[in-house]
Amino acid sequence: MSQSVVPTGPTTRQHAVRRGVPERLRPLLLLSPALVVVGVFFVGGVAQAVLQSLGRQPFLGETDWSVEAYRATFADPAFRASLTLTLRVVVLSTGLATVLGVAVALLVRRHARGPLTTLLQSTLAVPHLVGALCIGLLLSPSGFVSRLGAGAGLVDGPQDFWVLTNDAFGWGIIAEYTWKEAPFVAVVALAAMTPHVRDLEAAARVLGAGRWRRLTTVTLPLIAPPVAAASVLVASFAAASYEVPRLLGQSFPATLPVVALQRYQDTDLLVRPQAMAVATIIAVLSLTLVAAYLTLVSRLSRRSL
Amino acid sequence: MRGRTSLPGLSGLGSPRGLRATTTVVVVAAVLLPLVPLLVWSVAGTWRYPDVVPGRFTRRGLDLVLDGEVVAATATSLLIAVTVAVLACAIGLSAGRAIGLYRFRGRRLVQFLLLAPVIVPGLAVTLGIQVFFVRYGLADTVLGVVLVQLMPTVPYAATLLGAAYANLDVDYERQARTLGSGPWRTFLTVTVPLLRPALVTTALLTFLISWSEYVLTLLIGGGQVTTLPLLLFAAIGSSDRTAAAALGLLVVLPPVVIVLLVARRLRGRDDAWMGLARG
Amino acid sequence: MTRPLRRHRAVLTGLAGVLVLAGCGGGEDATVAETAPSSDWEAVLAEADGQSVNWYMYGGDDTLNAFVDDVVTPRLADLGVSLNQVRIDDTAEAVNKVLGEKQAGRTEGGSVDAIWINGENFATGVQADLWRCGWSQDLPNARYVDLDAPEVATDFGTPVDGCEAAWQQANSALVYDSAVLDEDDVASVDSLFAWAEADPGRLAYPAPPDFFGSMAVRTVLYDTIGGPDSLLDGEPDPSSAAFTDATAATFERLNEIEPSLWRGGETYPQSQDDIEKLYSDGEISAFFTYGPGAVGTQVADGLYPDSTREAVLSVGNISNVSFVTIPANAAHQAGALVLANVLQEPEVQLALFEANGVYPAIDVASTPTDVQDAFAAVETSPSVLPLDELLADARPELASAYLAAIEDGWVAEVQQK
Repeated sequence: MSQSVVPTGPTTRQHAVRRGVPERLRPLLLLSPALVVVGVFFVGGVAQAVLQSLGRQPFLGETDWSVEAYRATFADPAFRASLTLTLRVVVLSTGLATVLGVAVALLVRRHARGPLTTLLQSTLAVPHLVGALCIGLLLSPSGFVSRLGAGAGLVDGPQDFWVLTNDAFGWGIIAEYTWKEAPFVAVVALAAMTPHVRDLEAAARVLGAGRWRRLTTVTLPLIAPPVAAASVLVASFAAASYEVPRLLGQSFPATLPVVALQRYQDTDLLVRPQAMAVATIIAVLSLTLVAAYLTLVSRLSRRSL
Repeated sequence: MRGRTSLPGLSGLGSPRGLRATTTVVVVAAVLLPLVPLLVWSVAGTWRYPDVVPGRFTRRGLDLVLDGEVVAATATSLLIAVTVAVLACAIGLSAGRAIGLYRFRGRRLVQFLLLAPVIVPGLAVTLGIQVFFVRYGLADTVLGVVLVQLMPTVPYAATLLGAAYANLDVDYERQARTLGSGPWRTFLTVTVPLLRPALVTTALLTFLISWSEYVLTLLIGGGQVTTLPLLLFAAIGSSDRTAAAALGLLVVLPPVVIVLLVARRLRGRDDAWMGLARG
Repeated sequence: MTRPLRRHRAVLTGLAGVLVLAGCGGGEDATVAETAPSSDWEAVLAEADGQSVNWYMYGGDDTLNAFVDDVVTPRLADLGVSLNQVRIDDTAEAVNKVLGEKQAGRTEGGSVDAIWINGENFATGVQADLWRCGWSQDLPNARYVDLDAPEVATDFGTPVDGCEAAWQQANSALVYDSAVLDEDDVASVDSLFAWAEADPGRLAYPAPPDFFGSMAVRTVLYDTIGGPDSLLDGEPDPSSAAFTDATAATFERLNEIEPSLWRGGETYPQSQDDIEKLYSDGEISAFFTYGPGAVGTQVADGLYPDSTREAVLSVGNISNVSFVTIPANAAHQAGALVLANVLQEPEVQLALFEANGVYPAIDVASTPTDVQDAFAAVETSPSVLPLDELLADARPELASAYLAAIEDGWVAEVQQK
């Protein structure tokens, strides 16, 4: 049964009458616009993606339940290559962004209000689309780094430079995610380094804990929960973003979101269930990553404490 | 490693001062370096390999930003982002009140529902409902794009404003009521001013999410609702790097300015940063 | 650079059936929304007045976009039609959109009024019954078009049946830097490959199904089997021995040359835009194009070196025509007809040739003499092949079914190997 906790007390009687809405229905009423948005678009969208992946195509009538789309998807070597690539990109970008982000946060924490923090925050605001453009202009064979290398006599020409964009490994995609997301992790980690954390560190030092020990037993476990949450967001984003791998990756193998859209836009509508199957797989992958990561982090932080 | 006097900030690295300065420079360089070619290309006329500096500079990229098509796309982007921000704030204010001020059965479920769209990718969800947007005439319309963009923004607004409501001192509202102020008047003259900082932040950040959105706009807008990210995406694919860089600058400047404006307010609020990471 | 249209793997079987089964406005007569018949041009003009036409077209070619803005839009405006050019990456997106609308039951008021199209995308729409047909011969300017010419009457093997109106011609050619390659190197596919082996890493083609990459592969295919003639007669049959032998030999040659391609063939550029960027950056020295006429502008703009030249290899050039089609559910059919007609106007075709080097789809000999003179007087860049040299040995395209099989085969046998 709903009950209000905060606005209570005898004074409410008067305006409760004026309001006319029973107190216990008020949260529901207040929530209804948001629930409509989430319910219709989000829950509806997820349900539709799953249904359509199982062969229920809206407005096409006589379609049968079938797991054919999943069978075809998993049987396709191109899909397996995409899955491998996607996992590689997710793991490497999340790992790099987390490690670098935390390292940078530790570096700048003394000047948490300084210009370096502001710089990290403004990188955060750069749309990924622009990030992809920047990384392309920077790392492509004829990009800025290659030119600098040529100027320094280290690179003979574009052919001599590594293939870092539109490459098979996914370096360009990983570079973009790391560049954009490490500052995000850093900002979150900085926010987590509260005065309380500082007090505990000081206490540990008084108790004779060395620098490394303070870091691993006090600081990192204390900032782990928000940093883990941030990493989870990075991972789910890396698994699901379209424009970055579309611009910095190859057309084969492409990451799963690119494959999903390619199949959705196929001029054969019969391929659409496969698009939905890939979309569903992406959603499941994101959720699994979240669950696995959270379990791991909670275990780790328990152990070290 | 030495340095007994090291501050907690150094504790993790235990580095001598010089190394620390070097690392700082490396970090700054790593953050800024990708932006250098963007700036240079936006004014580069011819820039042949292996020149580090363009052979010829041009105003073409800057002129392009004032081109009718780009101006129209900017207007569309602004219209959509402002509408999305206003709607998300309105819906978020309402939902945030319920989350922040009430304990009710199913509260955790609601919180989970509001978190889920942040984690499950919008692309996967939108593929599922696109055909309904087509069916009901919402595809290819600004309205349709606004509606689909509520999906990533409303949960975010509700969570941020829910936190703000939880810190709200409702005594002020109560006093206003006791003094005879009606509910709407109380809301507008007491609650909104109290929530103003959070509201401004939420508005700016939801604006930003909408401003940066590409794939949802593409799927629902069908290429007919042309926002700046759509133009930019096309330009990146073309062989005209000057145009792409100039458009890239146009897309990147408002978010950076906005974040610099709200940065002070956001400090220490890690939840507020969550949405940004998804631009 | 002209940009015709590319497509995807078209697995068409059953698609039309699914739509018809669902009763989504498929069926016998492609339900054409209530609109003026194309035979009554006055009625078409009257209905078009005040309409806004959504023209879906590949949008990555800036000079072509400028041509649409500067030449096409004002002419349509004079007739009371406003043009909304919807730029897309891939023509398949527009076809997919019309299909999606058909699935959702929108038999009229469709959002796509006209599409720049040819080849597999057109064939897909024909199979799914998407297009309005039987109108292109009624356009007043159709008198300038040789409707019986094979490249106008059939589109990659699919009969046009008045479902689309010609507006551009594309011819393949090799663009090369004469400072790196000499004329002997560009005499034939063999000599080109010999040059690539001697100077590896400086030749590239985009990965099919990119339309240009697909053409590059077909060029080698034509060269391997001595021209397309053996595959032109009768119903296309991608499982026939003649075809599978031809593709197997082609893929073998492409695998042999792969180590000498850009990046050792370890990765292929994704699009023709990428190829052009590589050429303009000096990474590669030769590439195939469908738009040889546009190369002059690139040289003039300083994007390509002055030493850029063009050649037609001994195998000949592959030529096709691209069209404008109108979906049967389009909301603004009359406006789309007016657009198709404007695109065939001799002055518009002349302007396209002047501005973009795109060769006319109309028969220039049938136009007024002043237009003919103007065509003859258009100055071409020394980098660009004169029209007579380009067209001396033009070869037709294969049927769409073959293209799909070639593209799929290339992905499986060359890219993934």
